[in-house]
Amino acid sequence: MEAIRNAFDFSDFPRIDMVVAGAVFFFFLIFPFFPLSSFAMATMIQFFMFSIYGMGWNTIGGYGGQVDLGKAQYVGIGAYTTGVMLIHWDVPFWASMPVGMAIAVMWSFIIGYPLFRLKGHYFAIATIATSLVLKDLFTVWPFVGAARGLEISPIQFTPPDFLHLIFKEDIYYYYVILGFFFTGIVYMNWFRKSRLGYQLRCIKDNEDVARSLGINVHWAKIKTYAIATAFVSMVGSFHVCYIKVIEPVDIMSLDLSILIALMAMLGGAGSLWGPIIGAAVLIPFKSYLKEWLGAAAGLAGIDLILYSVIIMLVSAFEPRGIWGIVEKARRRKRD
Amino acid sequence: MDILFGSIVAGVLLGMVIALVALGLTIIFGVMDIVNFAHGEFLMVGMYAGLLSAKATGVDPLLTLPVAAVVGFLLGALCYVGFIKFLLRGPMVAQLLGTFGLMLFLRNLALLIFGSSDRTVHHGIIVGKSFDIGMGIIVPATKLAAAGLSVIAFAAVWLLMNRTKIGKALTATALNAQAARYMGIPTEKMNTLAWGIGGASVTVAGALIVNFWAVNPFMGLLFTMIAFAVVALGGFGSVPGAFFAGLVVGLIMEIPGFWDFFTYTFDWQWMADVPMTSLKYMWIYVAYFVIMVVRPRGLFGWKQ
Repeated sequence: MEAIRNAFDFSDFPRIDMVVAGAVFFFFLIFPFFPLSSFAMATMIQFFMFSIYGMGWNTIGGYGGQVDLGKAQYVGIGAYTTGVMLIHWDVPFWASMPVGMAIAVMWSFIIGYPLFRLKGHYFAIATIATSLVLKDLFTVWPFVGAARGLEISPIQFTPPDFLHLIFKEDIYYYYVILGFFFTGIVYMNWFRKSRLGYQLRCIKDNEDVARSLGINVHWAKIKTYAIATAFVSMVGSFHVCYIKVIEPVDIMSLDLSILIALMAMLGGAGSLWGPIIGAAVLIPFKSYLKEWLGAAAGLAGIDLILYSVIIMLVSAFEPRGIWGIVEKARRRKRD
Repeated sequence: MDILFGSIVAGVLLGMVIALVALGLTIIFGVMDIVNFAHGEFLMVGMYAGLLSAKATGVDPLLTLPVAAVVGFLLGALCYVGFIKFLLRGPMVAQLLGTFGLMLFLRNLALLIFGSSDRTVHHGIIVGKSFDIGMGIIVPATKLAAAGLSVIAFAAVWLLMNRTKIGKALTATALNAQAARYMGIPTEKMNTLAWGIGGASVTVAGALIVNFWAVNPFMGLLFTMIAFAVVALGGFGSVPGAFFAGLVVGLIMEIPGFWDFFTYTFDWQWMADVPMTSLKYMWIYVAYFVIMVVRPRGLFGWKQ
């Protein structure tokens, strides 16, 4: 009971934050009723998916300071579990999603144990390596469709089907992912005030001090890694039902892992709102840039050039992200 | 038996080139503790530089190495002065993502300029020729030349690092930048130089590789990961380590050949069923992971 009350308690934020957040969430609730293009709707769903990815990354990467660049493998595990169970055995989404999360968490324990003996750059590159190994294995595994991947055919499942999460209109997906999004925020709000959350911040600041205070550093990192994994795998399961096609080169690519980390950093890693702000800036920017420059003008790659320039500028000049700027301004005002 | 020896020879020859690829990464890492994700893209730039200058002037691709070296030196130095310098002030996550941004930038610039198609070298005195060195092993002349020239370039960089005053200044900066500054070594210039040398050695490797490997804008990441594996095995910051680790990784890249050898020798059906050629590059990632977990310092590493 205490934990639940704690999770819904946002009172340590300034009142202005709460007003803005309330207005934005109200806007999210009524967003589908505006007469907008289906492209805007798809972008919005992408935004929710990526802000949940970012929240997951933020636990280990933001609060814990361990730069993880291999999150795509867990997106893949979640997506493949749901896809395979749906296509081969007709298992509903709501049953296969927890199974996918369990498998992903198990895998995260197996590789997390050796991984967290590494630090800094070495850890980051090792996470990339594990992710790419898994991608290559899925590319040759015939049971999961090898390099062609999986496809959910609309003939096998007639929409609308809430149990299998197969719909024709995006609006249903929108509300499902919005529900996940709210749950994620509430969980993260509990997490940042939990015992593990404080332990992680201590580990980020100084690992030796954390160890001398009696924190089991290795185990705390592994636990947090599992939490991050569960978040990411959950959205991976949603991804396969929403997009209906998965290919290993796409869903387990390094670009996806980097994008997840980048968004959290752009918004401000280690804060509750950071990943959400990052996704809100980057996802519409990326998809509209692609729409206008990449597809329309026929200039392949120019959207990604602009996007990479932004990555370079942010990481060189404002590495604490947008939320870092806000906090700096607030501190100045207070002093 | 010829499959086995053929694979070993191919792996060693490839390993010599890979050692040169990884050399740039290990110098940069040794001097300033930053991991360059754009390393494979530097290689790609070198490949395009060699290919296009050979095509434009009509000379043999092997003669374009100086062009590639100059391009690489300027590219590396420019990246440092214009971008990496600012990156070093930020936290580690910013450094990782920043060099990743550089990688995306170079890759997509190449895509915009050169298009996404594969390009190969068609002319030149050694293209298409090969030697039969006995026991049924045929070595393409391009690979042999690339391996030999890589070893020469590697030795040149090693001499520069160990036998000249500039090399000593670089090593001093790598060991302790602050103390080096007190001794009157211009560390900023040394950093720029390290990026220049790193860039030049990898673009030279690129101009050698382009003789037997098709170039397209997306091939950088594979070589970045190969270079990471080499540097991890040899030890971050170690120049001789990079050479021996390069040979080992070259042999790791020939695992499909060894697999074929055992498949034919023992005539096991299950071995024939494994799609080993598709898993060719997976062993590099596995090798990196295992090396890091078992021996994080690498074979010759002095940085932890």
